[in-house]
Amino acid sequence: MASTSRRALFAAALAPLEAATEYASPNEVFAAIDGLEADVESRLRALAAALPSARAFAQSLLRDHARHRGGRASLRQRLKLPVASVSTAATADDVSLEALRVAVEALVYAHAEGLPAVGDAFAVDQLAHDMVDLSRHLTLVQLWIEQEQNRG
Amino acid sequence: MAEPRRDFVLRIAKAAGVAAPALAVIEGTAAALPKSDAVDLEVLYAALTLEHHAIALYDEGLKRSLFPPGLRNYAVEFRGDHMGHRDTQIAIAEERGGHPPGPQAHYDLGTLPTADRLIREALLIEVAAQEAYTALISRIRTKDYLLSAAFILVDEVRHMTVWQRVLGVKIY
Repeated sequence: MASTSRRALFAAALAPLEAATEYASPNEVFAAIDGLEADVESRLRALAAALPSARAFAQSLLRDHARHRGGRASLRQRLKLPVASVSTAATADDVSLEALRVAVEALVYAHAEGLPAVGDAFAVDQLAHDMVDLSRHLTLVQLWIEQEQNRG
Repeated sequence: MAEPRRDFVLRIAKAAGVAAPALAVIEGTAAALPKSDAVDLEVLYAALTLEHHAIALYDEGLKRSLFPPGLRNYAVEFRGDHMGHRDTQIAIAEERGGHPPGPQAHYDLGTLPTADRLIREALLIEVAAQEAYTALISRIRTKDYLLSAAFILVDEVRHMTVWQRVLGVKIY
């Protein structure tokens, strides 16, 4: 699968910052990540319920999310940000892999586009590590979709 | 015995020509580099040397038709990504008055007689690139470069994950 246009824009061009979602503060970044993470988790749970063979995959990703959430809680303390409000997402109706891919991609992008607004090297480092995990998740979902397409 | 992960990342980075200050960050021995334009340039140059190395490897594999037909599309895609990363970072460095390094005249790519060997070598370079960007990203001062580096890192993880999957490495 080719690079998506938004990713390619920033990685392979001198992209103006105006083209990205511009977060105004670390708190805004964390809030966006919390909400998008909840959306992905809702889709993972729905997928695991609909497809038992996807359960181990979903649980592995959810464990990564839980670890990331714990790390962000520590970062909130470090940056003296308010405690996260509990993010809940409606139960996902669309259990397709494509809907999951779109949701994971949005979470990856929130990390990438949020880094310039965080303003703390330690927090940037931690969120970048989380983004590496999430990018791996995204690739696995993309490969799964390709595999399904090749099967016809 | 398998080479420790950090050792091979450093080996690849050294072979690619990454300079000492950035190597120290990757190695974890430069804990408190201040953020500055000079550090941004060091990061850029380190990243650029790895991009040149990756392009050389994919070029060689594609030229010699070593990638199996089902994987050739990935090699073409990844080479294109690395060329984009290279061009981005040259442009950023030049915009900051830097003199970005060009590719080496010759890369020691080892013997690549089989697709398996080539893909393992590609995986090593992608892991090195991913680890280098992850180690260096928090040292970047300017917002536009930080944003570009973040999206480049996303690409590097994709490349690494695809080759890990091809080689049957357990990922989750």
